[in-house]
Amino acid sequence: MIEFKDVNKWYGKLHVLNDINLKIEKGEVLVICGPSGSGKSTLIRCINRLEKIQKGEITVNETPVHTRTTNLTKLRAQVGFVFQQFHLYPHMTVLQNIMLAPVNVKHMVKGKAEEIAREKLVQVGMPEKSGAYPAQLSGGQQQRVAIARGLAMSPEIMLFDEPTSALDPEMIGEVLDVMVNLVSEGMTMCVVTHEMGFAKKVADRVLFMDEGKIIETGTPGQFFDNPQTERAADFISKILTH
Amino acid sequence: MLTDFNFRIIMEYLPLFLGGLKATFFISGVSILLALATGIIACSARISSIKALKYPAIAYIEIIRSTPLLVQIYFLYFGLPTLGLRIPELQTGILALTLNSGAYIAEIIRAGINAVEPGQLEAGVASGLSYLQRMRFIILPQALGVTVPPLLGQAIVLVKDSALLSLISVAELTRAGQIMTSERFMPSEAFFTVAFFYMCIYFVLKALADWSQKRLIFREAY
Amino acid sequence: MMSFYFSRLVEIYPFFFTGLWMTCKIAFISLFTCTILGFVLGIFRAGDNKILKFIIGIYVAFVRGTPFVVQIFIIFFILPEWGIQLDAFPAALLAMAIMGSAFICEIVAGGINAVPKGQWEAAVSSGLSFVQQLRLVIVPQSMRVILPPLVGQYVLLIKDTSVVSVIGVMELTRVGWVTVVRIPEGLMVFSLVGILYFSISYPLILLSNYLEQRMAVK
Repeated sequence: MIEFKDVNKWYGKLHVLNDINLKIEKGEVLVICGPSGSGKSTLIRCINRLEKIQKGEITVNETPVHTRTTNLTKLRAQVGFVFQQFHLYPHMTVLQNIMLAPVNVKHMVKGKAEEIAREKLVQVGMPEKSGAYPAQLSGGQQQRVAIARGLAMSPEIMLFDEPTSALDPEMIGEVLDVMVNLVSEGMTMCVVTHEMGFAKKVADRVLFMDEGKIIETGTPGQFFDNPQTERAADFISKILTH
Repeated sequence: MLTDFNFRIIMEYLPLFLGGLKATFFISGVSILLALATGIIACSARISSIKALKYPAIAYIEIIRSTPLLVQIYFLYFGLPTLGLRIPELQTGILALTLNSGAYIAEIIRAGINAVEPGQLEAGVASGLSYLQRMRFIILPQALGVTVPPLLGQAIVLVKDSALLSLISVAELTRAGQIMTSERFMPSEAFFTVAFFYMCIYFVLKALADWSQKRLIFREAY
Repeated sequence: MMSFYFSRLVEIYPFFFTGLWMTCKIAFISLFTCTILGFVLGIFRAGDNKILKFIIGIYVAFVRGTPFVVQIFIIFFILPEWGIQLDAFPAALLAMAIMGSAFICEIVAGGINAVPKGQWEAAVSSGLSFVQQLRLVIVPQSMRVILPPLVGQYVLLIKDTSVVSVIGVMELTRVGWVTVVRIPEGLMVFSLVGILYFSISYPLILLSNYLEQRMAVK
């Protein structure tokens, strides 16, 4: 469904993505982990073209992403994105936040969009907050709304960029629960995270990155219990002992 | 159009323009200094708790801010003689500019003082510092960073405002352009030259303002 | 003597109101044109096109670096040399439009740049077009930063209408100037002019202060 072929990206002299070759199948849940600056966020941001690549090719559903003729609107309707800092629109209510894209990008009738929005709110466990403003919600609640906002477009793929890293510990669980439910519904997901419990529970594959390269990949069982490389082993021990 | 642009004429009138430029420097320089003094006094009155000082200061500032500078200039130019005060145009103009900018500077200084967190003052009081010491060591150094860039901005405004003095026959840069236009019927040469000189002053002052903003922000960081 | 002049002034006060009316006309039209032009320019100024930003930057620098009275002289005296004959009133409106939109452009660009980058990214990721991003997400949020200085700029523009008196437009300041020749009581004449300006400026200044407080608290 998503394919990276010899993808390379530089920020000036810094080689942030180094010969990335990757295939993500439909319905697969991929967790990407690694130290700061390893390029993991950059990698998923290239999928919906929030970032551009200098070399190589990325395709989503066989359609190349980084060409001049790419239909970005269509692409972004298929790919939902959840940010570390949520980035909910502060001047709109929860319901309006979720309805914005369906009404304006898919040109949905407002009544239908509202129906879908309420459905998604139920799915993330917050039906009663439809009229609230983001400032009135906790971090965990805001992130769940952000997930609902992404789901409202009925995407085929959901990308998560460290969705729980900006949350206080007691709220991480509620967000991870929502994500686990998504997995059980068969959503193709690519998640950048440090939450190894989540990875062990639902990931089909784990990808370990460092310095722009994919160092190691494998099933959670393989990766966590039997890392092949020293860097991966080192990282795992640091993550699990804190 | 540019092929007809008569640079020779500009050279001929260059002494007039340079004289006007010098006058503009003089007028602006004197006015900004006097305005600074006026602003400090007006600001002190404005923030004082003595009503006899505070309310006249507020009235002064609000009247200046709500009426056009040109009206203030005409008010003094046509009004002072009726009080028996025959002051030459140059001084009248400087007086108008001083009173005008003084009000704006008073507000700039007031904003700078308010920008210092009250907690700082409390710490000063708790350490036993006197009012003057708190002013000197706590408030003024921090207020400076917030105040100097807008003050330079007001200086830029003042230079442009001084052009209005040409309308009461003060011999400055804009008036030089008017004189050349009336003598030679060449408004392009005259006013583009005038504009050029003003732009030069603007870029110098703006560079100064930007530099001061960078330098003083650094000072605030500690 | 003074009471003689005072009674003449009372006779002629309707003249002042026609001047005030002309000032309001110029101000109203200018506020409208400057706001529209200023917003369009400001959006481009905050955008990605470097060439456009540079050109607008030069235009803004010229307007901010030269006195308004010089700009008016350029428009009124130099345009005829290029074949464009303008009457005083249209020339005044043109000069106000050029000057005001440059200042509003900077205010709008500042407001747009103040919106966190994450908001752009969230809007982009949902597939919204550039115009939709601006209209639905960015501009509504930038208004909080734009509104107080924008209203402040409106006050400045109203006061700047006084400068168009130099090309003969019969607005409030020119009324005073023409009057003081026949009624040489400068203090009275220009106090009246001042009071009339005060009556239209001061409410806007109060509005600007109020907006500044409200926007800061949120």
